[in-house]
Amino acid sequence: MRKLVSALRLRNMETLLFVGPWLLGFLFFMAFPLFFSMYMSFHKVTVLPYRFKYEFNGVNYYREILFGSSELYDKLIPFFQEIVIMVPVILVFSLFIAIMLNQNFPGRALFRVVFFLPIIFTSGYILTEFVNQGEGTLGFLDRFSLGQYLNQFLGDSSWAKPVQDVLNRFVLVLWYSGVQILNFLAGRQTISKSAYESARIDGASPWEVFWKITLPAMSPYILLNLIYTVVDMFTFPYNPVIELINTGNYGYNSALAWIYFIIIVSFLSTVLLLYNRINKHAAGAGR
Amino acid sequence: MNVIVNKLRAANRWTGIGLETLRYAILGREINRGLVFKLFLYWILIITAYIYLNPVMKMIVKMVMNEKDLVDPTVAWIPNEIYWGHLGSAWQALNYAQTLTISMMVSGLVAVFHIITCGLMGYALARMSFPFKKLLVFLLVMSFIIPPQVIVLPMIIMYTKLGFQNHLTSLVIPAIFGFGIKGALFVIIFRQFYTTQPKELEEAAKIDGASAFRFYWRVMFPLAKPAVLIVGMFSFVWTWNDTYYPRMFLGQTDNVPLAMQMSFLDNSIKAMLSQEDAAPVLIEAIKMSASFLTIAPLLAIFFFAQRYLMESVERSGIVE
Repeated sequence: MRKLVSALRLRNMETLLFVGPWLLGFLFFMAFPLFFSMYMSFHKVTVLPYRFKYEFNGVNYYREILFGSSELYDKLIPFFQEIVIMVPVILVFSLFIAIMLNQNFPGRALFRVVFFLPIIFTSGYILTEFVNQGEGTLGFLDRFSLGQYLNQFLGDSSWAKPVQDVLNRFVLVLWYSGVQILNFLAGRQTISKSAYESARIDGASPWEVFWKITLPAMSPYILLNLIYTVVDMFTFPYNPVIELINTGNYGYNSALAWIYFIIIVSFLSTVLLLYNRINKHAAGAGR
Repeated sequence: MNVIVNKLRAANRWTGIGLETLRYAILGREINRGLVFKLFLYWILIITAYIYLNPVMKMIVKMVMNEKDLVDPTVAWIPNEIYWGHLGSAWQALNYAQTLTISMMVSGLVAVFHIITCGLMGYALARMSFPFKKLLVFLLVMSFIIPPQVIVLPMIIMYTKLGFQNHLTSLVIPAIFGFGIKGALFVIIFRQFYTTQPKELEEAAKIDGASAFRFYWRVMFPLAKPAVLIVGMFSFVWTWNDTYYPRMFLGQTDNVPLAMQMSFLDNSIKAMLSQEDAAPVLIEAIKMSASFLTIAPLLAIFFFAQRYLMESVERSGIVE
């Protein structure tokens, strides 16, 4: 019996060796900052020389942000609309490119190198630089005066501007797809060749093969890319809401950051719920 | 049955030979083998590749244009003369020797620590059973979703108390514990990789009486080369390019990484040209040179490693 207990303890010690560092990190770099920022969001924080002063402020900051001014909504709503358009575009585009890159053709290696480049650029300040230089646009809105048609089509609805913005910065959409392409490429490799062969022998057309085999098998990767893209868009340091977070005082900023976090989580949950619905529906129809 | 099929095929061969072969040549026996599809594929890929490469090529061209070519509207792509002066100015403005060393050190260390800690955690989540495992997975996902902006202020305060603020270690410490830029994602990548490894390996090791830790370093970790390569690459590149954390933690110091110095560039160029309204084209050219200098090391590493990287991506099936 004693031997068993000590063996168990040994195993727990070993587990701690694996999990311990991360757990410590979680306490220091997640749990503590989270609680502290929540504490700050309920306080008026003043910076004195050598220390901070905290005065209890209740939910005043929250009230001010949510009901006091429209600052948050002015930044958030257009940004939301952009995300709603951009995320599907990024997903479809990256899936498309990944499937293309998965074909066997001469020059494949070269193209793969090119499609990895966005990963090197997008995360950095360089991208901002490119956008400032006007490299972020394809210029086709002006060239074909598409803007006019869009205005006619969308009228005065609040969607006109986001749609135009996304089209204007279409190159950026492509630039944001680097990791997603890689992910889909890796996912595509997990589907066995024999699945395709047997489907072809059964007389399925390539179109059917895509919808019945490729897409369902890629479903987990689509989900992952969906989450990744949404999180990436929301936490990108140059997005308007985050710039807003960096402009106020400590307490106000923390309250704003928390509101923003709750918005992200609810948005993600909605997206996941929708995704589940669609997925189930598709699975049901497939049978 | 087979005989009939063969006979039909033989008949077909004589009657519709011209049309069939033509059809196969153009449309292909499979849709992805035909000429039409091939052309379409190249068309799409070349266009997108052009979109990706265009800014890079512009950057490289502008970098070597002299002042006369820069203002000359007839010179778009091919400069009359190759001029290296902007690179020199950018080198100075970036304080390149120092910032490059800092970036190399910080990104390298962060990548190594991410590989070690995230690897251990990923393995534990994939292969070991212990209490509260589900809770840990939940916490992991949460820490992936939480925007850094929520927690950065308390971290600054914590660092100030501990004396790490304005010191380069502030960028490396989170990585030691598997946090920092997208640390949670790296744990998920490792977890996914280890889940796909065969179970028999562990049983063999258990029978041999190896401890879990020893087994991990001797057997599992060497097997995880694709995951290590991917995590290492991403961690290095993302840390290299990051300007958010350095801006938050390194407010008042001259020891900054390359990417952060790059974001100060406007001011340092103006100071260097010693006038407020320096010629805009000149500033632009120097900026392009600086951009090039900033990503050149990444490009070099990438071109060196891309073959292994692509193979790894294919083999690892990165994340679930």
